[in-house]
Amino acid sequence: MNEIHEDTLHFLKTEGFLNDKISLKETDSLTETGVIDSIILLQLVDFLENKYTIEIPVDMLTPENFDTLAGISRTVKKLKKG
Amino acid sequence: MSMAKPSKTCKKCVLDSKTPGISINTDTGLCQFCDHFTPVTKEKKAEYRARMDALLTSPPQQGQYDVIFALSGGIDSSYTLYRLKKDYPSLKILAVQFDNGFISETALENAKKFCDLTKSTYLRLTLDQTVLQDTFSKAARSRDAYPGSAKYRASDICNTCISIIKQKIIELAVSTKSPYVIFAFSPGQTDAPFITLTKPFLVWMRKLFDGNLKAMGVTERDTYLIDAAYIQPGSPDPQVTIIHPFLVWDYDKPTFKKECIRLGWIDPDLKDHNSSNCLLNAFAIKNHLDKYQIHSYAYDMAALVRQGAMKREDALKKLTINESDPSIQEVQRKLNR
Repeated sequence: MNEIHEDTLHFLKTEGFLNDKISLKETDSLTETGVIDSIILLQLVDFLENKYTIEIPVDMLTPENFDTLAGISRTVKKLKKG
Repeated sequence: MSMAKPSKTCKKCVLDSKTPGISINTDTGLCQFCDHFTPVTKEKKAEYRARMDALLTSPPQQGQYDVIFALSGGIDSSYTLYRLKKDYPSLKILAVQFDNGFISETALENAKKFCDLTKSTYLRLTLDQTVLQDTFSKAARSRDAYPGSAKYRASDICNTCISIIKQKIIELAVSTKSPYVIFAFSPGQTDAPFITLTKPFLVWMRKLFDGNLKAMGVTERDTYLIDAAYIQPGSPDPQVTIIHPFLVWDYDKPTFKKECIRLGWIDPDLKDHNSSNCLLNAFAIKNHLDKYQIHSYAYDMAALVRQGAMKREDALKKLTINESDPSIQEVQRKLNR
């Protein structure tokens, strides 16, 4: 598991009330598994921006980029490279 | 003989360990949120203020209104409408009051009064009341239609009502080409002062709420969702930003109430500590507590206490349930028909 996965999971456990019993695969949909909704998504974006000192453009808020741990990881890596 | 573990309440806010998902650190005596809490800095607040001033002082003249405003007729939204026009007098505001079938007569009166006072256009948004009542009834009977985090922010009934309002108000903003949507959410209810809406994000929001409604067993869902024509491929991109002024201004409800009363706002004197406009609310809180053992205002109140916007004892008082509130039985009867 990479650092971005770990940070995202930690955020979802503390802020998003993600249950320890739920095991998430990196390609599982965070919305379809009931982990996030649009409000938690915005909080997650804010968290990732601060954590990795990146700016996430609003037009990147799509399921492809933010609905799975894999998508989040890919998006953050891409933005970090700038 | 096994003994139940005694519950602990966070030393700072009002969250307690008997609520599922809340843990109290044995060393600090704080809940996980207070343990990691970082207040918004003065600099950040000033930055938010400058951005809101820039947006609302000279809005882009792109449509009939500058702002589509969600007005419930309660204290927070009535005060916000007044303050917006006081701080930004030239704003053209369409104030939308969603009639969910359970708003008090006083709330209707207060909403109209504040629209007159601020020279805002008033719109009472109504949907088929029988269908709406059936939807609330389904929300009350549902379990886990909303994700875990949403259950802490609001009851299943309130999440449904608020989501309908969001969808329809955003639709109004897009259809009238109004650049701003303003909600008077408290700093305990939202973290983001500004949200710029893009088409992919709206498509996603619509899909998520559609899924919530489907999970509740609601079959006729389109009426509650943003009209798909506005977000289909090829339609113009929405030029809409959501603003939450209470993340920019200081939040001080007792002062807002005094100011509103001075301006002619009438206290509906509901028995519910948490709503000054909706008769459905007390039932919704009880229903949520019975289903999930979560008080749907605890997270909101805890955040306000944590941020210094509310006294702890006032928050604890708001979290007591008045079982004798006649509106609880009345709503139950209506929804069970």
